[in-house]
Amino acid sequence: MRVIGIESSAHTFGVGIVDDGKILAKEKEMFHIGTTGMIPAEVAEFHTDNAAEVINRALKSANLNYSDIEGIGYTRGPGLGPCLQVGYLSAKTLAKKLKVPIAPVNHGVAHIESTRLISGMKDPIALYVSGGNSQILKMDNKPFKHYRVLGETFDIGVGNMLDSFARELKLTPSWGSSIEKKASGGKYVEMPYSVKGMDFSFTGLLTKAVSMIPDVPAKDLCFSIQEAAFSMLAETTERALLLTNSDEICVCGGVAQNSRLKQILNLVAKEHGARFGFIEGALNADNGAMIAMVAERMLLAGHSTSIDKCDIEQRFRVDSAEVF
Amino acid sequence: MVIGEGAEAQIYLENILGLEMVVKVRQRKEYRIPEIDEPMRRRRTRKEAGLMIVASKAGINVPHVIAVGKFSIYMEKIGGKLLKDIQNSKTYMEKVGKELARMHDSGIVHGDYTPANIMISGNETTIIDFGLADMSLDPEQKAVDLLLMKRSVTRGMYAHFEHAYVNASRNGTAVKKQLAETERRGRYQSRTLS
Ligand SMILES: Nc1ncnc2c1ncn2[C@@H]1O[C@H](COP(=O)(O)OP(=O)(O)O)[C@@H](O)[C@H]1O
Ligand SMILES: [Mg+2]
Repeated sequence: MRVIGIESSAHTFGVGIVDDGKILAKEKEMFHIGTTGMIPAEVAEFHTDNAAEVINRALKSANLNYSDIEGIGYTRGPGLGPCLQVGYLSAKTLAKKLKVPIAPVNHGVAHIESTRLISGMKDPIALYVSGGNSQILKMDNKPFKHYRVLGETFDIGVGNMLDSFARELKLTPSWGSSIEKKASGGKYVEMPYSVKGMDFSFTGLLTKAVSMIPDVPAKDLCFSIQEAAFSMLAETTERALLLTNSDEICVCGGVAQNSRLKQILNLVAKEHGARFGFIEGALNADNGAMIAMVAERMLLAGHSTSIDKCDIEQRFRVDSAEVF
Repeated sequence: MVIGEGAEAQIYLENILGLEMVVKVRQRKEYRIPEIDEPMRRRRTRKEAGLMIVASKAGINVPHVIAVGKFSIYMEKIGGKLLKDIQNSKTYMEKVGKELARMHDSGIVHGDYTPANIMISGNETTIIDFGLADMSLDPEQKAVDLLLMKRSVTRGMYAHFEHAYVNASRNGTAVKKQLAETERRGRYQSRTLS
């Protein structure tokens, strides 16, 4: 089934097209965050200006016409209201025009499911790490099929933590990739380590690292903050793996682009004879293809939503979304 | 002989001078750099042994600590099985809820209170793995102990546990309220942006 997916929960307006789980196109335009962060209304305006062009570009790159599209998916949430609104309206307009079914998708589920499907995993422990999210999840069939949160951050997401630190160092924030570059060759200075069971928190680490900026070389701080944060994620993921007797680990979300994180998680998996799954760099960032993938599965399962019942939900919890 | 493998330690059964005991050794983790790994293992070993002794003095059923090394704790061997490996029941959940209430009332938070760290022998429960435990009266930390259990068992089983905890604990209601707050903060958190 040829399905187009639209993602606009944050700074990316992404459009993807899939057919039978295969990605035919993935196009996007990103609002560039300056050093001051971003205003939702401004980003939404950016998305509005780009929507039609990105959709056309995706169709063109898949070599398809509008009339070839058989279904539509869009990000229902979570995300910023004004941004979600743009994707939702574009999807609704398309669905009306093309008279095809539409499926609202949970953003987190899309990250996890696209990673799970592409890396060929059955029932993994999923570490979902992006700007605002850091969660450890696993599929649960009761009372309906959904991803259950086994552990998560008590405060900020690991991506935001690394980005805030990058900004303090006057580096470009990008889910930690600037920290990763800077960390090479650094040596460890002691950092706080905060784990409770399968939960963790990052503000203590951030505060401490920021307070050391004047006295410790930046590369040592980048190395240390990264090692401490990833060790926390690795330890809690390991605990989830053992508690659930699982034999697969996958990592997804923007921070999954960090190669040191992948290396660490691979060691966790290896130690317990588990498989480790991840997907190609760019697919970890927000994109429309992951929305299309989940939407296709929903539509094939007969789970479309009538156009007038579609909406957005800024706080759409990952564990309240049914998975097909 | 290795008898158990937890998240961070290996458990050996050793016969020392005719005495059968369990040795918990925190192994080196390849995934952490040694600068993080070594002090952490040393710190946790010392702390765990200390808190087991405190808990035992407070009348909580824990393995008796025999000796403590750099990365190892020598302790009494507990018979039976882990709660996570047996058919759960209302009786166990209530017992385990009451035990947590007593532990909290004596100033200890466990930090990893799940069926993987509770042993059952007959109708006796023994709490193990104080590796993430702490001395604290903070309702927030206590709530985390409930939250971990909540995430590890079915809704129905958790209800028995919570009920017994709230009835037995000195600040049960406050902790329950804090739990709701902690869950709200964590789970309903919207995606914030850089
Ligand atoms: N005193 C004991 N007697 C018998 N078995 C034990 C004892 N302590 C630990 N075990 C076994 O070893 C496993 C791991 O121990 P635990 O202290 O939970 O380590 P970890 O911190 O690695 O989770 C337990 O799940 C249990 O099966
Ligand atoms: Mg344990």
